[in-house]
Amino acid sequence: MTLHPMIAALRRHKAGVVLIALQIALTLAIVCNAVFIIGQRIQRVNRPTGLDESNLFLVSQQWVGAPSGDDPASVDKLDSMQQADLAALRSLPDVASVAPINSLPLLNSSWNGSVALQPGKDLRAGNARTTYYFSDEQVLSTLGLHLVAGRAFTAADVQHQAMHDQRGPSIVIMTKALADKLFPKGDALGKVIYLNGDAAPTTIVGLVERMQVPGVGSWTNSFTWNATLAPTRLNANFSRYAIRAKPGRLAAAMHAATPALYATNPMRVLDDDSVKSFADIRAEAYRADVGMAILMGVVCLILLAVTAAGIVGLTSFWVGQRHRQIGVRRALGARKVDILHYFQMENLVIASVGAVIGLLLAIGLNLLLMKHFEMDRLPVIYVLTGIVVVLALGQGAVFVPARRASNVPPVTATRAV
Amino acid sequence: MLKMTHLSKVYRTEVVETYALRDFNIDVKEGEFVAVTGPSGSGKTTFLTIAGLLETFSGGEYHLDGIEVSNLNDNARSKIRNEKIGFIFQAFNLIPDLNVFDNIEVPLRYRGMKAAERKQRIMDSLERVGLASRAKHYPAELSGGQQQRVAIARALAGSPRLLLADEPTGNLDTQMARSVLELLEDIHREGATIVMVTHDPELAARAQRNVHIIDGQVVDLSEDPRFHVVHAEHTGTNA
Repeated sequence: MTLHPMIAALRRHKAGVVLIALQIALTLAIVCNAVFIIGQRIQRVNRPTGLDESNLFLVSQQWVGAPSGDDPASVDKLDSMQQADLAALRSLPDVASVAPINSLPLLNSSWNGSVALQPGKDLRAGNARTTYYFSDEQVLSTLGLHLVAGRAFTAADVQHQAMHDQRGPSIVIMTKALADKLFPKGDALGKVIYLNGDAAPTTIVGLVERMQVPGVGSWTNSFTWNATLAPTRLNANFSRYAIRAKPGRLAAAMHAATPALYATNPMRVLDDDSVKSFADIRAEAYRADVGMAILMGVVCLILLAVTAAGIVGLTSFWVGQRHRQIGVRRALGARKVDILHYFQMENLVIASVGAVIGLLLAIGLNLLLMKHFEMDRLPVIYVLTGIVVVLALGQGAVFVPARRASNVPPVTATRAV
Repeated sequence: MLKMTHLSKVYRTEVVETYALRDFNIDVKEGEFVAVTGPSGSGKTTFLTIAGLLETFSGGEYHLDGIEVSNLNDNARSKIRNEKIGFIFQAFNLIPDLNVFDNIEVPLRYRGMKAAERKQRIMDSLERVGLASRAKHYPAELSGGQQQRVAIARALAGSPRLLLADEPTGNLDTQMARSVLELLEDIHREGATIVMVTHDPELAARAQRNVHIIDGQVVDLSEDPRFHVVHAEHTGTNA
């Protein structure tokens, strides 16, 4: 089958051809970009935080009538209350380890600052942005962080200070990503850095493989893996405890945490939302991303279905319109399969025109999104896959009406119009 | 060339059987020009559609160019239609979206013929019907007579063994009808076998032999007393 007479015939039905080709083009452009965005969202949602997330949960609580923390005595009092909580939680039979912590990856509550290689206020912008996690000597085992160089914190390293105290720690553990950014030669261990433009030096004593910052918004994209761990218990009228349950005992440990804390000190606020598994924290953090991915997926499916319906509708109309013509072709020697192939080839021609226009539209739309919404460049494989999908969709959609056409009997040629 | 023996065609519904053809016998020799006549509803067109393998029959035998066609599948029937039969329809049945050249090319493409041979045959057949200059015209740009000539060119291009014409002048005025008929006579003189269905006695008279169909059967009018008066009024129209 050659295309010349088919294209000549299609030229005489321009309106239908143009409409379907444009519909295919728009579908291709939108679906390619939407699938790319969905892919990016899924990749984002599934990226590991660096924590061993199983059996991990977080307790957030607030004391009622606690000291202000404005003077050393009240800070000491707050710290003793926190240590009592830690002791109570660590004594639970289903708990493996507990660490006080100001935040967790994906919690969307962060304390961010800068890290510099030189001291001084004029370098406040620093060499890199980072998120600070304040915890104690059990932080690595509790969060399941993987130490790749140096050492963990010891109990002797851990200090405590008021939440509003601006003093920095003397030692830190940081993520390898942050260390490599500051020291590209890979010799960060033992090096001195300066936090938040402070003049006091801080020494890097350990490196962890990976740890995500709490924020999940696009504003954290530049420092997603830049985390710094300080051996400091922060004292305020509230506290958070990261708790690792023993394997398979997560539910039991979560159930036991609240009564244990109340038994230690009933003057506190602990509600249903205060005890959260890390799985819940992850789900909550990425709810918008997952929702957006589902919404875009549904929109893509609707678009594809509408395009398929358009092809079915137009082909059915053409089959009805050319009923006698099909009979004439059959009378002149066309086999059923020739008629089937005719309509399939006709659809392939229209869909190919749509695919070429769609390819240009997809690239154009991607450039627009890159300019206005910080989207990445659309990989060619998405467009190529999209072209294959719309061509296959066209062939699938045209099959039923084309098959109906192929069943038009040759005797139709002799019947009156 | 075309031989039907005790052929029948029955249209069945849940409550009734209607015989379009019953114990139908005809034998058309190679090179004959046969006119098939008969009143409306007599079975002329049914005969033609079965002869052209456009539809199947219910009983009896049909040999076309020596081939018994009753057991052929759809593809084999399509191949015979394409290679052995040329159709000329009353309504011309040109494809309006294709120009004259492409219309004539349709059956040749289904035969898988090479482009150069297709072009040669198309131009030859257009020359034959006197429309070589209209190759790029669309059917809507031609008169009825010209459209029928294109349809004849399409039928001739495939060099068929048998030409089947269904009221070929039925949609034409007298002058155009005469020129189309003269063309068919020329084609016959060159050796083609032609079977033409018509209800026009004048047209039928130009054929070598007339076959009359009544109630789905071939009848010999000279031996049927019911038609002696009519026969006398139209002397010379029946073989």
